[in-house]
Amino acid sequence: MNTEQIIREAMYQVAEISDCQLMEPIREDTVLLQSGLDSLGFAMLVAQLEEDLGIDPFTEMAIPVYPNTFGEFVRIYQQYAEQSQDGQ
Amino acid sequence: MTLSGALAQFLSNIKTGALLVVPPESNNQQPESVGLTEVHYAQLLESATQLRAQHKGLKGKTLSIRYNNLCDFVTELLAFDGWCAELYLLPDGDSPALPEDCVDRPDMDGGSELKSTDPVEPVQTRWYLATSGTTDRPKWIGHSLVGLTHSIKYSERLSCLIWGLVYQPFRFAGLQVVLQALLTGAKLVDASSGDIAVRLQRLKQGEVTAISATPTLWRQFLMSGQLHSMQLSQLTLGGEVADQGILDALATVFSKASIRHIYASTEAGVGFAVSDRRAGFPRIWLEQGYDNIRFKVDEHQHLWIKPATLAQEGIVGRVDKQGYLDTEDLVELKGDRALFLGRASGAINVGGNKVHPQQVEQVLLDLPEVMQARVYGHTSSVMGQLVAAQIVATQRVDVIVLKKQILKHCMSKLLRHQVPLLLEFVEQIDSNAAGKIGRGNVNE
Repeated sequence: MNTEQIIREAMYQVAEISDCQLMEPIREDTVLLQSGLDSLGFAMLVAQLEEDLGIDPFTEMAIPVYPNTFGEFVRIYQQYAEQSQDGQ
Repeated sequence: MTLSGALAQFLSNIKTGALLVVPPESNNQQPESVGLTEVHYAQLLESATQLRAQHKGLKGKTLSIRYNNLCDFVTELLAFDGWCAELYLLPDGDSPALPEDCVDRPDMDGGSELKSTDPVEPVQTRWYLATSGTTDRPKWIGHSLVGLTHSIKYSERLSCLIWGLVYQPFRFAGLQVVLQALLTGAKLVDASSGDIAVRLQRLKQGEVTAISATPTLWRQFLMSGQLHSMQLSQLTLGGEVADQGILDALATVFSKASIRHIYASTEAGVGFAVSDRRAGFPRIWLEQGYDNIRFKVDEHQHLWIKPATLAQEGIVGRVDKQGYLDTEDLVELKGDRALFLGRASGAINVGGNKVHPQQVEQVLLDLPEVMQARVYGHTSSVMGQLVAAQIVATQRVDVIVLKKQILKHCMSKLLRHQVPLLLEFVEQIDSNAAGKIGRGNVNE
């Protein structure tokens, strides 16, 4: 699975656990705050992805930007993963 | 000093300041179509004078005030500070027990026993605010107005600010914003209720330039993508630990603004602000003090503070001989900074909402399949902390089924932010020598 697929998968898992109704479909331009995940669900998603991908781009804020859309969110993870690999 | 007296004196010199609120009758309309109404502080003061005159019998009594809307709330504060001996600001959730002689306004009589010849010397009202239950059950902490307004200073720059109120005004942080706006003659826009879109709408409508919010709420504002269009010149973070990530992100958007994070202790009655855009506070303050506050850190990493004015009630036993109060907040000394780690009690702070691990553990142990449970705070870059639990399950149980069962059970018994969404099944749980479950943060 690529990063985007992993994130989508995690979103569905988290929505189920945290009792949130996810918007269908989640598109590139879906605004995260309107995706159906509330702030607690979003916090869960970031925690779940830390487990799945081994990174949390928001901890050190190497990229000091908060995502507005699903597409931006995915790109932050992709960018951060690349940066981490470059740094190794 | 009384609040109404201070405001009256202020208004006699500088006639500025107003509340910008949504009219109560527009509650059923679409938020986007509702404009804000401006209520000048002079009007509030006039209403307060009338209200006091109608309830003269309350002089020297103990009164509880329930928040309905911002205009009424501020009017009542102005009316009864300096008049009642004690004011209890009721929280929306569980309220600690009120004294027996406490009255609330609708229940009391018109109170006309006070004759016009009675002295009208103001009394020193004690203000009681409910803690959000950081240490244990919520409790009342008494404050003087002098203590509550200790850090408020007037300047022309501050009076030109337009504050956005995003906290509940009956809590310490919200009341600070209300008092700050009133006593500097600044405008105050009410955005204390509604979902994130409604709040942002109000803040933009009111053209706010100053906001005080939790780091969690600031992150949501940033995620909305709408913060960029606001002209903020003063940003304050409080209610939970501000990490370097959120400070950097805000500094990127508002490069010229003043960005401060606040440490506030309801018990101590005051707080302090750090404005160098770095997490924690300068270590040198432990030697030099800061803004009439002295600091020390004991061998258990507890932060002790000695403010200029200490809230006296409800904290007996936590003040040492030198007058320092144990805040029960843990700090780590790292380089030239003192960094906040969380509560010594293990209380979890989920985006500004406190959760007691013991309460959650009790709910988990309701289930016969759960033999042992340990609840702790998992560090979250989004909400500060999340509630996590380690579970020792009975043998031969399907953990996937049990996980769903646990979540369902917790959802029915606990508030959403209290539910342990991160569950880990383990063979055993470590306990300390006294047999108590360790409460350290395992992911740190």
